[in-house]
Amino acid sequence: MNDMPRTAVARQDAPLVEPRAAPDLVPKIEIRRLRFFYKKFEALKNIDLTLYDKRVTAFIGPSGCGKSTLLRVLNRIYDLYPGQRAEGEVLLDGRNILEPGLDLNLLRAKVGMVFQKPTPFPMSIFDNVAFGIRLYEKLPASELADRVEQALRRAALWDEVKDKLRQSGLSLSGGQQQRLCIARAIAVKPSVLLLDEPASALDPISTQRIEELIAELKADYCIVIVTHNMQQAARSSDFTAFMYLGELIEFSDTETLFTHPREKRTEDYITGRFG
Amino acid sequence: MTDTVSSLDLSGTPRRRTFGDRLFKATAAGFAFLVLAILAAVILTLADGALPALREFGIGFVATEEWDPVLDEFGALAPIYGTLITSVIAMLVGIPVAFGIAVFITELCPTWLKRPIGVLIELLAAIPSIIYGIWGLFVLAPFLQRHVQPFLIDTVGTIPGIGALFRGPPLGIGIFTAGIILGIMVLPFIASITRDVFETVPPILKESAYGLGATTWEVVRSVVVPYTRVGIVGGVMLGLGRALGETMAVTFVVGNAHRIDTSLFAPGTTISAALANEFTEAVGDLYLSSLIALGFILFLITFAVLSLAKLMLLRLQQRAGT
Repeated sequence: MNDMPRTAVARQDAPLVEPRAAPDLVPKIEIRRLRFFYKKFEALKNIDLTLYDKRVTAFIGPSGCGKSTLLRVLNRIYDLYPGQRAEGEVLLDGRNILEPGLDLNLLRAKVGMVFQKPTPFPMSIFDNVAFGIRLYEKLPASELADRVEQALRRAALWDEVKDKLRQSGLSLSGGQQQRLCIARAIAVKPSVLLLDEPASALDPISTQRIEELIAELKADYCIVIVTHNMQQAARSSDFTAFMYLGELIEFSDTETLFTHPREKRTEDYITGRFG
Repeated sequence: MTDTVSSLDLSGTPRRRTFGDRLFKATAAGFAFLVLAILAAVILTLADGALPALREFGIGFVATEEWDPVLDEFGALAPIYGTLITSVIAMLVGIPVAFGIAVFITELCPTWLKRPIGVLIELLAAIPSIIYGIWGLFVLAPFLQRHVQPFLIDTVGTIPGIGALFRGPPLGIGIFTAGIILGIMVLPFIASITRDVFETVPPILKESAYGLGATTWEVVRSVVVPYTRVGIVGGVMLGLGRALGETMAVTFVVGNAHRIDTSLFAPGTTISAALANEFTEAVGDLYLSSLIALGFILFLITFAVLSLAKLMLLRLQQRAGT
C-alpha cells in the first residue's frame, strides 16, 4: 500500500480526485462549499466532500469538530430547530437538497438515520419497523408483514424477535434496540444510511454485531458513519474524513488515512496525541 | 480489630440514630397518616349525615328525579345527571383545545412566542371561579343564546336521535352553557400538564420519527402521545376532578332546576350547585340530610373516576409492555 499514490484527498480548494479509481465508484452525495451556522456560529467551514454509493464513509474528529453537524445536514434534520441554517450545495443524486421548497419528508425517507442512543418508539417491535412503511405505502397486511420481516432479517434481528413481534420495542436489550432502529430505517428503502455514533452506547459484542451489519448493508446503501472510535472507523469504513474545528482536514480511503496521513493534525489525532 | 473499616462502621451506627432522626421520622409518618385520618373522618361524617336520607328513601334516592322540599321528598338523580353531563361536555370542549395548545406550543410555535402563550394559559387557571360565573352569566350565556344555540337547534337539532339533545328554547343558561364554562376552566390545567409532558419527550426520539419522513402530526400521534400517555391521562383526570367539583361558576349558569331534560339547553343542576344554593335554606332534617347525601355521592363519583383512571393507566402500561 505504501506506493499507492495518495490522491484521495478532497480538501477545500483542492480538486477532487477519485481515490483508487475503481470502476464501480459512483458518487452518491456531493457536498460543495457547505457552510453551516448555529445562529452566528459557523460550525462547518466550506466543506467539499463526495460520498460514494455502496461504500462506507466515516467521519472522525474530536468532539465539536462538526462531524455530527455534517451528518445532520445530509437529511436536513437540523431544519427542526430555529437558528440553524446551511449554505452551499449538497447534491443527492445530482439534486441539491438544500434548495428551498424541497419535500423534506421524502428526502428523509430516502436518507435514513440512526442515532447515538437506540430510539425505539413506544410501540410494538412490529409497529416500530412498520412505522416508516405505513407513512408512505398502503400495503395489504401480508405484504407489510413481509417487508417488516425483510427489514428485520436484513438488520440481523429476525431470529431474536420473530416470536415476540407484538411485544414493546422497549423490552429489547440495548444492542437489539439499536438493530431495531436500523431495521426501521432500512424498512422504508432509503438509499443513504446515516449512522451517528451508532455503537457508542453499546457493549463490545453488540458493537461488533452492528459493525458486521454495516459491512453487510454497504452492498446496498451509501453509508455514512460518525464515530469517536478510531478502530471502528478503521475496521468498518472504506473512506474516512477527518474533521477539526469545522473544517475538513483530510479525506481519503481509510487505509491511506490511517497508515499515511497527509496532514500532521490527522496523524496527531489518530495516534492519540490530541483530541 | 482485624478489619478497621467495618469496626469503624459499627461504632458509628448507634450514634446515627439520634433523637432528632427519630423525631423526624415520627413527624413525617404522622403527617402521612394524618391525611388518611382526615379522609376517613370526612367519609364517616358524610356517611353519618347522609344516613337519615338514605334510610328514608333507600336506593330510590339515587334513582328518582323528585326534589320537593315542601313534601320532604328528595331524589338525587337530577344533580347526579347534571354533574356527569356537564363534566362530559367540559371534557369534550377542553381536551381537544388543550391538546391543540400543547401541540402548538411544543412542536409548531416559534421560540419567542412559547413563553408568552404558556404564561397566558396558566393565567387562565388563576382567574377565580366566581369571575367565570359572572362572565358566564352576563357574556357567554347571552352570546350562546343569541348565536350558538339557535344555530345548533336549526342544524343538529333536526337530526333524528342525537338531535333530541339540541332542541327546545334557547334559554342561554342551562346544562350546555355550564359545560362550556367548565370546559374553559379546565382547559389551562389540561393544557399546561400536556405541554409539560410533551416536553419530556427526548428530542432524539422525535428526530428519529422525523428522520423517517414523518410529518409533525404523525410524530405527535405515533411518538409523542404514546410516550406521554400516562401524563396526558393524569392531566385529563385533574381537569375532570375540577369539573366534577366546580361550584361557583356552574351555579351561575346551570339554571338550578332539579329536573332532567333530554335537551342540553334546558336548565338543570349539579351536585355542587345544589349544595351551594340550598344549604342555607335547608330547614328540615331530611332536607339537610339529603344534601349531605348528595355530597357523599359526589365524593364517591370523584373517587370512582380517579380509581378508574388509575386502572386505565395500569391497562395501558400492560398493553405497551413497559
